[in-house]
Amino acid sequence: MAITGYLAEFSLAEVFQFLEQGHKTGLLTIVASPESRPSSHQGHYIWFKEGLIVAAASQSDGHGLSTLISQRGWLGDRAAFRLSQYCSPGTPLGLCLKSQHVLSSDQLKLLFYTQVMRQVCALFTLENGSFHFDCRAAIPNSELTGLSAPATEVTLAGLRALRDWSALTDKLPEATSSLVSVIEGKPHLRLKQTEWQVWEFTDGRTPLYEIAERLNITLEKLRQIAFRLIVVGLVEELPLLGKEPFEEESDLNLGSPTEFQAQEPSSQEAELSSSFLQNLVSFLTGKS
Amino acid sequence: MEIMRLVVTGPVGAGKSTFIQSISEIQVVDTDRRATDETLALKQKTTVAFDFGRLQFGPKMALHLYGTPGQARFDFMWDMLIRKAHVYILLVAAHRPHEFRYARRMLSFMQHRSRAPYIIGLTHSDMPGAWTMENIPIALGLLDPAKRPPLIQVNPTDADSAVRAIAVLVQHFITHQAHQRSLVRPR
Repeated sequence: MAITGYLAEFSLAEVFQFLEQGHKTGLLTIVASPESRPSSHQGHYIWFKEGLIVAAASQSDGHGLSTLISQRGWLGDRAAFRLSQYCSPGTPLGLCLKSQHVLSSDQLKLLFYTQVMRQVCALFTLENGSFHFDCRAAIPNSELTGLSAPATEVTLAGLRALRDWSALTDKLPEATSSLVSVIEGKPHLRLKQTEWQVWEFTDGRTPLYEIAERLNITLEKLRQIAFRLIVVGLVEELPLLGKEPFEEESDLNLGSPTEFQAQEPSSQEAELSSSFLQNLVSFLTGKS
Repeated sequence: MEIMRLVVTGPVGAGKSTFIQSISEIQVVDTDRRATDETLALKQKTTVAFDFGRLQFGPKMALHLYGTPGQARFDFMWDMLIRKAHVYILLVAAHRPHEFRYARRMLSFMQHRSRAPYIIGLTHSDMPGAWTMENIPIALGLLDPAKRPPLIQVNPTDADSAVRAIAVLVQHFITHQAHQRSLVRPR
């Protein structure tokens, strides 16, 4: 089933988080809105395999990788195609050419870096556009180097390089929220110093504005770092209780039962009897 | 009087008020209606309230339903509701992925404050662009299938659908209660 949406509502970082955590396989197509990318080309294609990014291209003709190889002067398009015929079906083009000693491991890494990191990271600057994920789309071997990267690594790099965060402002964690770790132990990702410093505050009690004060960085910067840690799956936002009391006389009587006003034991102490639950189930069963 | 307190929560537009209205045997006092009846000046001064509905199924047995306030701020009203709840249902509109982020915050807030069992009700699953039951839990950060709460599609406007959702929720509560008892039983 396809997953669709708009980047203005569901950011690319969050799309990547979803695809990685869901171990998805398929093709993510990003179409920039005309105002975001005035140039004629607007489509971007990113292939995922079990949550890992395996290829990316700005064209859908299956020649993106061979074009990159050709642009570097390492091999012409036709030569690459001819050589790929000698490899068993299903072999990624990059590994195929490496097995024939046409490309080295370092060259493959460089190609992957250009293909994925550079092209995909640039997409984080998109202010708006649509995304479409097709889990039935085949992964073209002609676009594969044989290498892969967790989407979260690409996200981290892309967001670190992002200068204009205006498109993400409404998606950042609230200044009054705290952060809490969702992993066991320390992060496995290589974090920058300030990211580590923010990580140290994942106690679920310290609001972001206070973390910013303690670390002597702007709240805006702190929220951006927190967003990065959230979308790479290290922490989650934990809203803290607001401190403002009612500003006026309470009108809790309006539609509310008196039980909420009286002191009573917590729901864990006031257990419901078996007969109550049986009666309720019978009642609901009869009603539906 | 024995009362089960059920909290209905979820982002704006998920169908919380509608859900309670479909179930309740009494006229529900809802915040949306109140807001439209007020002038703008009065609305700004209006104190926070919450939806309330009731289902009485015996002389001394009732189900009380509370809808969390629509505003984004997690204030002490939220805290009070969730701490008093026996169970809660998180309604999520399947066609509004931009609200999944807020639903995650809600879950995080509630799970750190209450151990009450809950289920997730997906609304608007028939709308164009609706995400599936397979994908929404992932988007909500519920990655481990073994630890996910029950997930059910629900039409808040349909009383039968709402009743079925509550039946699932009550069954989940019973299972949860039995499990909790087994943990504290002396050896």
